Amino acid sequence: MMENKVTLAHGAGGRQTAELIEKVFKAHFANPEFTADDAAILNVGDGRIAMTTDGFIVSPFEFPGGNIGKLSICGTVNDLACMGAKPLYLTCSFIIEEGFPLDKLEEIASYMEKTAAEAGVKIVAGDTKVAGKGQVDNVFITTTGIGKLQEGVHTSGAFAKPGDAVIVTGDIGRHGCTILLARENLGIEADVKSDCAPLWGTVESMLETTKDIHVIRDATRGGVGTVLYEIAAESKVGIRLDASSIPVDGAVRGVCGMLGLDPLYLANEGTLVVVAPKEKAQALVETLHKGKYSGNAAIIGEVTDTMPGKVVMTTEIGAETLLPQPGGELLPRIC
Amino acid sequence: MCVGLAAKVVGIKNGMAVVDASGAKREVSAELLEDLEPGDYVMVHAGIAIAKITEDDTEETDDLMGLL
Amino acid sequence: MEKIQKTAKEIIETYDGSPIRIMEVCGTHTHEIFRLGIRKILPENVELISGPGCPVCVTPVGFIDEAVMLALEHGAVICTFGDLIRVPGTKKSLADARAEGAKIQVVYTPLDAVDYAAENPDKQVVFLAVGFETTTPSVCLAAKKAQEAGLENFSLLTANKTMPNAYQALKGSADAFLYPGHVNAITGEEECRKLAERDGVSGVIAGFTAKELLTALAVTIEKSKTGIPFFVNCYPRVVRPEGNTAAQKIIEEVMEPCDSEWRGLGVIPGSGLQLREGYGAYDARKKFRLPKVEGRSNPACRCGEVLQGKCRPSDCKVFGKGCTPQHPIGACMVSNEGACSAYYQYSSEV
Repeated sequence: MMENKVTLAHGAGGRQTAELIEKVFKAHFANPEFTADDAAILNVGDGRIAMTTDGFIVSPFEFPGGNIGKLSICGTVNDLACMGAKPLYLTCSFIIEEGFPLDKLEEIASYMEKTAAEAGVKIVAGDTKVAGKGQVDNVFITTTGIGKLQEGVHTSGAFAKPGDAVIVTGDIGRHGCTILLARENLGIEADVKSDCAPLWGTVESMLETTKDIHVIRDATRGGVGTVLYEIAAESKVGIRLDASSIPVDGAVRGVCGMLGLDPLYLANEGTLVVVAPKEKAQALVETLHKGKYSGNAAIIGEVTDTMPGKVVMTTEIGAETLLPQPGGELLPRIC
Repeated sequence: MCVGLAAKVVGIKNGMAVVDASGAKREVSAELLEDLEPGDYVMVHAGIAIAKITEDDTEETDDLMGLL
Repeated sequence: MEKIQKTAKEIIETYDGSPIRIMEVCGTHTHEIFRLGIRKILPENVELISGPGCPVCVTPVGFIDEAVMLALEHGAVICTFGDLIRVPGTKKSLADARAEGAKIQVVYTPLDAVDYAAENPDKQVVFLAVGFETTTPSVCLAAKKAQEAGLENFSLLTANKTMPNAYQALKGSADAFLYPGHVNAITGEEECRKLAERDGVSGVIAGFTAKELLTALAVTIEKSKTGIPFFVNCYPRVVRPEGNTAAQKIIEEVMEPCDSEWRGLGVIPGSGLQLREGYGAYDARKKFRLPKVEGRSNPACRCGEVLQGKCRPSDCKVFGKGCTPQHPIGACMVSNEGACSAYYQYSSEV
């Protein structure tokens, strides 16, 4: 009989550990490569692979639009996708707080199953540790993924060139806004859901349109503003944004208005920044508009050769101003 | 000094008003304004409706245009 | 672009009369002016000076020290607007105190802090009451609400400020003021009208959108041409001549004037507000018997002169070097709305 809470015994390596893995993880992650051994043996075929790892500690662990399980798949899958690599296999490592409800763990695993299936990726090995009460906040997940690099694709934060167009694949700031509202108890109600989504399909559709894409970046923590500064620095170029063309959901705008925040610095978990030659940009946006997660894609600016390392913005009065460098903790501003 | 937010009143109860700013809703104090009704527009600061405003600023614009 | 915005922009861009120095008093104006790039369209002979209307910036070092003391030594839960968390005290900021285990809760309104106290009767809850006339009514409502509920675990650490005496202290600093629209929403027009008629100090009440700001600047420029002291309410959609009388009444009922220290400017007599005797039970200084705190700010900092328009942020030796938004030394670098912070973040020279 399994208890309905995770106990330290579930992490001790004995019968209860085996039971937890069997009933929760294996039930959801089973596939031919899924292993009970120490490591999975995988066939990746010819060519080059991409590999990455990411830890997830989001609080609260459930939020409108997803939970930490969905996030842990999307984060790693999207990092691979940004390199132009088709995600193939994932491993995951759980650190669970003693007393965590089993039905919640089950829900997390179920989200991971669904999201992995959608992303076309298999979870092939895992690890479970249970930490004492108070040593972790509910549950932490680390996922490691490998993907197969697609032929002819060369993306990097260092490849942006003057004259390129800057595209976002969706409206910005939804994940950060969702978490802020869920976490801070600010009494604000808004119909905002995290944009958390696996984006290999999105990237694949872009690569089918053109392989001539210079940069793909996941605009996660720090938001689009942070990613643009990273690209400007790594590629030693300037970036000019057009304030009026940046897509922002109405409710996100409303929340930001209440709290004095800028959506450009709010996290996304299903939105990419893409830099590609100007003449390919329109076709890319048309492709994106047909996609499941990229209906609000837009060209938001261009890469320039002036002021390398800086991001400037053409404002609504037609003046040009520097986009402030992101930094530090996002704090609601009142006065 | 004071971030203000123009919002529409969508409900009133016990001196509190629920306001809506393009889909973001929050309960704010309506105690400092007389006779607020759903449908009114207000300026909100730090959880308090501080002024009743018009939905748009056509009138204001027309008057100021005369000075320019 | 709307017609009035276009006309206003043209008036500003093409002005070639005698030099005008305009002080935007309000920190939100500073922030919006930089965000919109309004400074970039000004001709050489129009200068904008960022005044002292960012409550976070003018809150003295000693206030932060008091809050840190309440959090760490008295174990109080500090409820605050987010802006105050990173402000450096003499030794520590509230963020530093939080890292040492203090409970710091960001709230949207002081009324939420009262609710928090009601829900946590075993904890002492202190709200950090900073701000000008716009924010003070919310603090007064909170004090009244706490009194009505008979809460014994809620108090206020006050540093509320009022503008009239600050205008007097600053009146030589600029040719015209851009008055803070949301302060006037509470206080009305009278004080500003008097400044023009009685003291010869010109100014316009301004709103916060691109159109409102450009219009207010254009009206200032047009009116300046006459050479006669002027006052215009360019924000009548929000600011009534009499202001919000219910808000004025509640401030009068709960608070009384006191001398107040402004970071960078020193003590301005009669420019602060403190809780009246009848609300003494909600005064955190009395309740926790806080000792008199003398905060020390860095002597190299020239924020005081910046706030009066006597020097530019970039004239200060520590600007952009020891003093940055990540590691602020002076008041004006602390908040997003501070003059130094805005110069630093929006200027391409650093």
